[in-house]
Amino acid sequence: MSPVSRAAIGRWLREPLVEFLLVGLLIFAGYQWLDQKTGRSDPQERIEFTPDDISQIRLAWLAQGREDPSPEELQHLVDARVREEILYREALALGLDQDDTIVRRRMAQKMEFLFEDVAALRDPTTEELEAWFDAHAGDFTLPARATFRHLYFSPDLRGVRAREDAVGVLAKLAGQPVDAAESATLGDPFMFQAYYADRSFDEIARNFGPGFAAALFEIAPGAWSGPIESGYGSHVVWVDDVTPARVPALASIEADVRRGWIEEQRTGIRQRAFEAMRARYEVVLPGDLDAADIESLGAIEAGRPESQP
Amino acid sequence: MRSIRRTLSVTLRPVLSGCAIAALAWSLDAAATGPEDRQAFFGETHVHTSWSLDAFALGNTLTTPADAYKYFKGEPIKHPLGFDVKIDTPLDWAGVTDHSEYAGVVNLANEPGSAVSKIPAAQPLILKARTKEEMERVALYAINTLASGPPVPALMSPEIAGTVWKRNVALADAANQPGKFTAFCSYEWTSMPNNMNLHRNIFFKDCAKVPTMPFSALDSKHPVDLWAWMDGQRKAGNDLLAISHNANLSDGRMFPTEVDSKGRPIDAAYAASRVRNEPLIEIKQLKGTSETHPLLSPTDEFASFEIMSVLLGNPPGRIPHIVGSYARQALKDGLSLEASKGFNPFKFGFGAASDSHNTAVPYRQDNFFGGHTFSDGTPEARMSGTLVGGMFDARTESTSGLTGVWADENTRASLFEGMKRKETFAVSGPHIQVRLFGGWKYSDAVLNAKDWVKQGYAKGVPMGGDLPPSSAKAPTFMVWAVKDPTSGNLDRIQIVKGWSKSGQSFEKIYDVVWAGERKADKRTGSLPPIGNTVDVENASFTNTIGAVELKTLWTDPEFDPSLHAFYYARVLEIPTPRWTTIQAKELGIAPPDVVAATVQERSWSSPIWYTPSAAALAAARRGTTVAELTKQGAVALNDAQLVALIVEKSIWLQNNVTGDKYMIIYGAQGKGAAAKPLTPSDSGFISQRLPAGQGQFQLRYVGSQTALQSFTGDAAEASYLGTSRPYSISNGRIATEFVGTPIEISVFKQGDKYLAARSDEFGFANYEIVPAEAQLNPLGAAPH
Repeated sequence: MSPVSRAAIGRWLREPLVEFLLVGLLIFAGYQWLDQKTGRSDPQERIEFTPDDISQIRLAWLAQGREDPSPEELQHLVDARVREEILYREALALGLDQDDTIVRRRMAQKMEFLFEDVAALRDPTTEELEAWFDAHAGDFTLPARATFRHLYFSPDLRGVRAREDAVGVLAKLAGQPVDAAESATLGDPFMFQAYYADRSFDEIARNFGPGFAAALFEIAPGAWSGPIESGYGSHVVWVDDVTPARVPALASIEADVRRGWIEEQRTGIRQRAFEAMRARYEVVLPGDLDAADIESLGAIEAGRPESQP
Repeated sequence: MRSIRRTLSVTLRPVLSGCAIAALAWSLDAAATGPEDRQAFFGETHVHTSWSLDAFALGNTLTTPADAYKYFKGEPIKHPLGFDVKIDTPLDWAGVTDHSEYAGVVNLANEPGSAVSKIPAAQPLILKARTKEEMERVALYAINTLASGPPVPALMSPEIAGTVWKRNVALADAANQPGKFTAFCSYEWTSMPNNMNLHRNIFFKDCAKVPTMPFSALDSKHPVDLWAWMDGQRKAGNDLLAISHNANLSDGRMFPTEVDSKGRPIDAAYAASRVRNEPLIEIKQLKGTSETHPLLSPTDEFASFEIMSVLLGNPPGRIPHIVGSYARQALKDGLSLEASKGFNPFKFGFGAASDSHNTAVPYRQDNFFGGHTFSDGTPEARMSGTLVGGMFDARTESTSGLTGVWADENTRASLFEGMKRKETFAVSGPHIQVRLFGGWKYSDAVLNAKDWVKQGYAKGVPMGGDLPPSSAKAPTFMVWAVKDPTSGNLDRIQIVKGWSKSGQSFEKIYDVVWAGERKADKRTGSLPPIGNTVDVENASFTNTIGAVELKTLWTDPEFDPSLHAFYYARVLEIPTPRWTTIQAKELGIAPPDVVAATVQERSWSSPIWYTPSAAALAAARRGTTVAELTKQGAVALNDAQLVALIVEKSIWLQNNVTGDKYMIIYGAQGKGAAAKPLTPSDSGFISQRLPAGQGQFQLRYVGSQTALQSFTGDAAEASYLGTSRPYSISNGRIATEFVGTPIEISVFKQGDKYLAARSDEFGFANYEIVPAEAQLNPLGAAPH
């Protein structure tokens, strides 16, 4: 398909009306087919193979890693296909497709595939992608990151006084610059790092617990603050810098955004197509679903059904 | 099909080379750092998705390894029953280990139109309805016919199994983000001859050279064959390792000391092959702990932790064996084998994992959602004591464990090397970090130095290593642990020591550092409990007791340079409510009586081994072996002589290894149905009715401080309570048993001395009949 005609079809397909018509067409085609089946009257059935059908059979054979089939082999393959087709039609005539879980599930699955094929027919335009990206920026947000240093007050060394001590030290450090804490040994030795550069919320939560991470991102940078509690004890904290959560430029993540757009189309079309079909059905359920256990199989039929649109 | 493959390889190539560049950048970063910069990375080595035969059949029908990796990275996914589940603390790495046997077959059989769905052998695997009964039918077929029956070649073709494996590898590659999250190529080898769990999880160092098909239990159910295949892979440049799991469900066959699964003797070649291929074992998972068992470790007050003793498929009439099913005993047996025969097949490090069949994994007591789809997927199903797979009460299921690896960076190569070095530790669920260093030159100054980790490496070895040749009177260990910031505080760190002398092995647990102002008993060394803040009614606890961080230096006070030994650290949390207690509260019912209401979560470091020098061995006195006795002309007693020597007698014995003396009463032997009245008087009192040839024996005069060799059980308690056990005499042996495992004693006469050898003491005759003692503890004599 040439780019021009593809784009043209793309534009055309963008119309919700066209999409709706396409789905409608599918359903219509389905009914036509169903009608044909039920209106079967020919005394002599016809099984016709086109050259394409024969190519398909050869291809399936080749795809299993074999040499080109010999004329005899090809004849066997065709015979097998004829046999399959006859048995299939006879099975349909006998209604063997009814109430077969596998057949039902496969057909329902094929319908789903059809919807998805409709969705896959086109790519978004640049404007469309931009608009969609704006609307879904939240899904692509890079998490906030923080750079911080801390003084640790250990409950192992200070017991219940750990927090009070931290409050005391914070009072001393109030208004002081960051290096005020450097020379003095105000806190206790911490088993990991005293300084953490550019860590995401999740990384901080993993190291200190989620409560600490949440509290840390509340702190304004550039002052001794706290104390905040982690799973290890109390911390007086200096936040150097917080990079707020940000949405990256579309250009840097276009492939991801495109995937997201296509996925949404797919889900949307499936959903809308199903709703369109669902609207034509009335589902009848018993009033109390919980009462329907296996022992009361008969009772369900005899019970008072409640209709649902 | 060909064209599809071409497209795939074209699109994959840039992605793969991108990964290679990223990996290269990471290793360049790491070049500037030393081992002291290693971090603990927590990961999962054992989880199943819908691609595992049994998981699919149990109702996990939708999720793939991609979902598992999403879950481990912190995204919520669906439990097979449809609700969302989310991990508490995301992981650093993982390998999805679907069963290699018929991998994906059930999944594909249920995919209409797939090649598998048309194979007659696959028909029984197709779910006719999505009901619990139908799923159980398929699961039973899958487990009983496929997994334990003869291989079904139609379902093993490379087109089928190879496809699933390829997809697994592709998904691991897709999830792998060097430096952020490592995804391994891995699978489970699912060998279970006679319902004995001999499973191993296989991890590949990288995914670039993985074989087209994994070696499965259908290829062979014998571990030695798996190792031979692994050796071949390694030779072809594809490094890999195996992690055994659920030794506790192996019916005593995970750690054989005499013959392997092919009936061949355990020898140096077996040991070398095992050690080369299996650096780690999984010590804890949903189906219980494999560290040790209270019957094997009667003096370990914390041994009774999440014990599960069952057999796969629960075959009727089979009682699982305890002996041979636990790691600590295997480590001890390894020392005995090394000392007596010169090889040690059981030199492994520790990891822990899940074995969840839900794709998602529960690690925490307060976020427990089971591991076996509908059998334990709802609080009601779990707390009703549903028998999962007909095998165990869901309430006895444990949370999942994790493996911590000390590694330079979070990449496949670095983590894999860490696992090979055994620089690993196991945790029961919470991320409790532990470090252990052993050496001869550590001092308090080293311990308190800022760079103590650096000196730890420089002056000794980390966990998983061998102590260098001795250069002091006794080895010293630096041990450190820090709590999980989202879990309970720490109670204590213990050092578990095992050693072997003259074929007898021993263990001792030392409390080395603890929280709070507690004092160890000056005679027994035992530490009072930390206390308990758990409110069982409200299923709550507080961190008002316990420590955040524990660290100490410990020198072995009872070191003997002539004896093989190992040391590992065990870190205990304070008691917290078990998941069953939490969910009982939520359901408004009483906590179940089949499990403890509280647990002490824990972490286990891999061991450090000590091997005596040739000089130390030469200088040591050791016991006499049966071979030496026979050479010296000692004569083995026959049945009649044994009967004359012990039956209806009370014998005093000395264990020549420990010097302890005790008495054994060997009761009369039964005469079949005939009842034995007590004679000469009281003829109306039927004192016993035993099978012909069987008697009871009872141990007397054993104290709680007696150093007990392996397989004696709680001898002090038996001696105090007067419990008895059966014995019989046949084939020139006194036959007894230890929780179902036969132990035989042969007796030799040498001059006027009687010497006895137990069959589990590697050829040594360690016991001697001695004159009766009149006083057990004469005052003024040196205490022993």
